[in-house]
Amino acid sequence: MTARKLLIADDSNIVRSKIARALGQHGLHIVGLAANGREALELFKATRPDVLTMDLTMPEMDGIECIRAIRALDAKVRILVVSALSDKGTAIQALKQGAQGFLDKPFTEAELSDAIGELLEETGNG
Amino acid sequence: MLGFDLGKYRTMVVSIALFLVLDLGVLILNFVISSEIDKDAVNINLAGRQRMLSQRMAKTALQIEARNAQGQPSEKEAKELAQAHATFDGTLNAFIAGGNTLSGAGKDIHVERIDDAHAQAILAEAKGLWTPFSTAVRGLGDKGAPSPEAAAGIARQAEAVNLSLLKLMNDLTTRCEQLSSDKATTLRMVQVSGITLATINFLIILFHFLRHLRESDRLVEKARRETDNILQTTQEGLFLLDDKFAMGTQHSKALAGIIGTDRIAEQDFLAILRPMVTQKTLDTAKEYIELLFQPEIKEKLVASLNPLNHVEIHQAQGAGEMSTRYLQFGFNRVREEGRITHLLVTANDITRRVKLEQELKATEERAKGQMGMLVEILQVDPSDMHRFLRAANEGLGHINNHLMEQGGGKAEQKINAIYRITHRLKGDAGALGLSMLATPFHELEEVLDGLRGRPNVTGEEFLPITVHLKALFEQLETVGSAVTRIAQMRGVVTVEPPRPQIDPAEAVPRVVSQWQAFTRQIADRQQRQVQLSYSGIDLQKLAPVLQESINSMVTQFVRNAVVHGIEPPAERRARGKPESGRIAVYVSQREDGGADLSFRDDGKGLSIAKLREAAVRAGKLTAEEAATLDHRRIVALIFEPGVSTREAVDEDAGRGAGLDAVKDMIARLGGTVRIGSTPGEYCHFRISLPAQPEQLAAAA
Repeated sequence: MTARKLLIADDSNIVRSKIARALGQHGLHIVGLAANGREALELFKATRPDVLTMDLTMPEMDGIECIRAIRALDAKVRILVVSALSDKGTAIQALKQGAQGFLDKPFTEAELSDAIGELLEETGNG
Repeated sequence: MLGFDLGKYRTMVVSIALFLVLDLGVLILNFVISSEIDKDAVNINLAGRQRMLSQRMAKTALQIEARNAQGQPSEKEAKELAQAHATFDGTLNAFIAGGNTLSGAGKDIHVERIDDAHAQAILAEAKGLWTPFSTAVRGLGDKGAPSPEAAAGIARQAEAVNLSLLKLMNDLTTRCEQLSSDKATTLRMVQVSGITLATINFLIILFHFLRHLRESDRLVEKARRETDNILQTTQEGLFLLDDKFAMGTQHSKALAGIIGTDRIAEQDFLAILRPMVTQKTLDTAKEYIELLFQPEIKEKLVASLNPLNHVEIHQAQGAGEMSTRYLQFGFNRVREEGRITHLLVTANDITRRVKLEQELKATEERAKGQMGMLVEILQVDPSDMHRFLRAANEGLGHINNHLMEQGGGKAEQKINAIYRITHRLKGDAGALGLSMLATPFHELEEVLDGLRGRPNVTGEEFLPITVHLKALFEQLETVGSAVTRIAQMRGVVTVEPPRPQIDPAEAVPRVVSQWQAFTRQIADRQQRQVQLSYSGIDLQKLAPVLQESINSMVTQFVRNAVVHGIEPPAERRARGKPESGRIAVYVSQREDGGADLSFRDDGKGLSIAKLREAAVRAGKLTAEEAATLDHRRIVALIFEPGVSTREAVDEDAGRGAGLDAVKDMIARLGGTVRIGSTPGEYCHFRISLPAQPEQLAAAA
């Protein structure tokens, strides 16, 4: 099986590199780093990743809008929202738009790694 | 899997198959034997006819002989004989080897060989007797009457075999009946055993079925009891929730107590939540639950979004009291054949845990507060600290005495006296930078402010003052013991560092630098720029009581000047004044050992109009009095309790207590005060204090 492709969308450089470092070791092939929703959407179209980590509050196009646009293009991509839990309602809207999981910021590398493992598990009885 | 798994129904299916096979077997046997019995009935019938035919042939032979002897025609009889002979012969041969013969109804029928040794022996014997007679009868031919000799011959032969044939045919009939009866017996046996077996089989099925039914009933009952026990015993609230938000019919006993209602089964969960949470939380909870029914959402990865993880609810508890409880709802998916059918909801009352966490947090904050207190104490000069603690303890003692006095004076006077002490101590604590004492004094001041100006204050309303007083005593004690500990750590004997060599004229006395620091603090809070300068004698030359009084008064005047006098920098600039306001303090010693204090600020001076308004607001004057009163009398109002030109109350001013306290102090010391002010330019207080009795006593 070829390595799964990962796209990271977060407006913080620090968070992007933290996710990249943790998930690069997880055997994911990082195909793009986006600093806002618009970049994320363009990179998505160009690279067609299998997994996406998505911040919610980003300039230009926010995470929810971006998730909606990506979900319209691809029904299978797995999306993990990685955001600070200031408002549970917003995170729930993101899930309604098509994300499958949520990870609260700040997070440890182990938490991120577990969350991605859970996200990639086949949907069946699990 | 394609094959059919019989599973627990195997026995039942085998039994039913056996029942069908058995039934079919009996049916086939029944059919076979019955058809044989049918054939036997035909044989019995035919054997009976043989018996009759043997007699008829004998009779006919004798008739033919008799008619011949009498010369009568015998063609009819001869024909009858021939017919009887043919029928008897055909039937006999058919019995022996199988073949066709005529039935009773004259039809041609097929008869099978009788498959029985005994019957065949009878038939063989009959055949032996029959063959010669038959040959003789055939010899007659079938046309015309036989000759008398031939007729007599036949008649003799008939007589000879007649009885034997009759007997043999009788035996044959009996034998056939016997055979038929045997078969009927067999048939009955087959039927009886078939029915018996079927019955046994049926009973086995029934027994097996009932045993299984009882066993499964027992298991169901056991499971139900166990479930009941769990639901009755668990401390958690448990119930199932479907995707229409309806609660299941089963729930744990504890649930009713946790959510505060007995009406649970098939109720709308959201309706139960509605009175407990805000509309926003309710909406979020609804969406969260809907998400959990979506299979593509990862259950573990959304647990942190549960809006019902920490629900604070307030419940009336009779007598208008409210109790606060904290509930936690958890959700787990229930799947049947991979489909999410329900959510298992766990509800817990986490009040104890939350309260413990809150206590822990409060303890941590107290510890942090104590740290802050130590830092504050360390920044105050130890002798100042001791002086303040003594004054504060005295002050609190006075307050206590006021409270203890039964009916001594009017309540209003009492409150004003307590208020002044509180206000002075608050100011002193603030001046030393001791916020941990300034804050509780401020709180007590707030309570007193609520009581001031009230016509009738009852004893009960003094109660909160007592509570605050007690807290203040405790806080003072805490600070006192901290001071003592710090002193112990510092060591009783300290060697001071050598004093820097500075010009005594430039050296700023310590009390003055405290005034300056205090001025800066208030100025910062009020967004003003103010500088305080001092000229005059070294205050330490004065009697201690005068030193302390002057210190208190200056503190009060500073507060008053910064809050009411000095304008904001922008306003000052607009008026052509320097942005930074100036306060000048001057103290000189009187010849009698008393002291004169001059305090002047270059702020906006006293506003007669505002003082009028404030006096009316405080209820000191009616509007008419205020309008007609002389300016000087109006100015004097600033020393009245409760008169403040400031509308907002904060830590620094606004209750009009400061100058009231100053006037009290001056009166106690037997001094006088003069006020001078030019609106927009300055305000100037000049206080003259005579020598004090203890001072005089010491000098004498």
